[in-house]
Amino acid sequence: MQIAEPLLAAIEELSKLPGIGKKTAQRLSLHILKSDNETVASLVKAIEELKTRLRFCSRCFNLSEEELCEICKNEKRDKKIICVVEEASDVIAIERTHEFNGLYHVLGGVLSPLNGIGPDSLKIKELLKRFESEDIKEVILAINPDTEGETTALYLARLIKPLGIKVSRIARGLPVGGDLEFADEATIGRAVLGRIEL
Amino acid sequence: MILTSIYLRNFRIHKDTKIKFSENLNYFVGGNGQGKTTILDSIYYLCTTKSHDTKTDSESVRFNEESFELGGVFRGTSENKIRIVYSLKDNKKEYLQDGKKITRSVDIIGRFPVVLLTPADHAITQGYPGERRKFIDSIISQASGTYLKILLDYNKTLRQRSSLLCQMKENRRNSLSDELNAWTTKLVQSGKEIIEHREKFVNEFNGFIKESYEIIMGKEEVPAMRYFYFDGMSSSNIEGKFFELLDQKKEEELKRAANLVGPHRDDFIFEINKLNLKDFGSQGQHKTFQVALRFAQFFYLKKTTGKTPVFLLDDVFGELDKKRSIKISEYLREVGQAFITLTDFANFSFLKRQENDMLFQINNGTVDYA
Repeated sequence: MQIAEPLLAAIEELSKLPGIGKKTAQRLSLHILKSDNETVASLVKAIEELKTRLRFCSRCFNLSEEELCEICKNEKRDKKIICVVEEASDVIAIERTHEFNGLYHVLGGVLSPLNGIGPDSLKIKELLKRFESEDIKEVILAINPDTEGETTALYLARLIKPLGIKVSRIARGLPVGGDLEFADEATIGRAVLGRIEL
Repeated sequence: MILTSIYLRNFRIHKDTKIKFSENLNYFVGGNGQGKTTILDSIYYLCTTKSHDTKTDSESVRFNEESFELGGVFRGTSENKIRIVYSLKDNKKEYLQDGKKITRSVDIIGRFPVVLLTPADHAITQGYPGERRKFIDSIISQASGTYLKILLDYNKTLRQRSSLLCQMKENRRNSLSDELNAWTTKLVQSGKEIIEHREKFVNEFNGFIKESYEIIMGKEEVPAMRYFYFDGMSSSNIEGKFFELLDQKKEEELKRAANLVGPHRDDFIFEINKLNLKDFGSQGQHKTFQVALRFAQFFYLKKTTGKTPVFLLDDVFGELDKKRSIKISEYLREVGQAFITLTDFANFSFLKRQENDMLFQINNGTVDYA
């Protein structure tokens, strides 16, 4: 079968993206081909600007257009409290809630010796430095409650607590508006353990 | 839960087998290698998505064919059609419940509880501790999804921690000791939960073993199961003891780059009249104990899950004397539906066939109603 080389190249490149297989890549390529020039140009620009305009905030390693990200620069945020997360996508998730008004620190992953990821591969040293240069009173560990995430939280808690800083981990429990009967046993079990007095 | 029918297509020796079952006892009779056990295994597949023996999916495809398919209809409060399709070419297996694809194993395990008694059960009472842990873990996992999750979490922690111990051994780096502490704490946290679950289970399960054993053997012999953890240094303060033992073995763990303390090293001890079965039991006692364990598993799961498990008995009467065989066949009446393989029905005249029981003659992968 003969396929035009530019199309083949586009399919190849697109299928390298996570969650995109050969067939989806082909559909996307053909869709782009059919789109007008303006649409394609703005797509290309958006992709390019991701790389050229965005970088990591030098303080919290969140995505940023400048040296410091919008959150670190914002004077209205509570500078005494840091929320530690795995990835920049978690910052977006928490920001969407509008429930948290402190600062962030993005670790860039979790501890996983099997994959060769130790504390040095994560932004942990940088986090500890922030305790020296900033006036932090509390740290919230908002790391995924899986095996590696929980261990990373344990590791950080042991490092931070001796510094006299309050450390907490986000609660695990039932989703809001969720039905008790549809939650799995492990989640309900944890939710009962972590119950709150009224 | 009643299994009303199954079909096997290109599954090992079976080319196209369809069977309708009795709600009571179903006997499969045939010589060696005719496909009796394969029928039990196909039922096991439908309940767990896996084979009970070590055969892989690709080995289960009939010679010169490209795929196999299994299907069955379970009737409980509602009816569920289960279908498993495996294709050799893609090495891909699909599990469908009422036409819907199910991918997560936690959604399947325990859905249709199954109990299988096989000649390989000798490993439970006579083999290595790992066999006993597998047996116990499979029962608790079928009864509790929470336990299964903790177990998976614990196993992952073990792999991560041993990988870290390896790195520490190679690099002799003490800077990793903070990291090791974190993994150790994690190990203790989920390990403690496993020990607590197992302890609670053994307490409860003992009653079921006693009852089953008594029905088969009478009251002269009293069976028991004991949970043996921390090399016998069990303690009411599990967490404290766990940390203490880990501290004692610290050097050795680093030297051997292995996890040396925890429930992955536990054992379960079976006793008859307070004597260790492994050391003092006769062959007959071992076999009787294995049978009693499976009956106990059946009634335990029935009680805790509220669902009647599918009960499969592969060649159970082969090694037992007549007296015990009669007791077991009577006991099966209390089970309800069961699936039993026999090498030759004529030798088992004591198995009084009742009206609703079904007898299938299996010959080279084909089934005849007898």
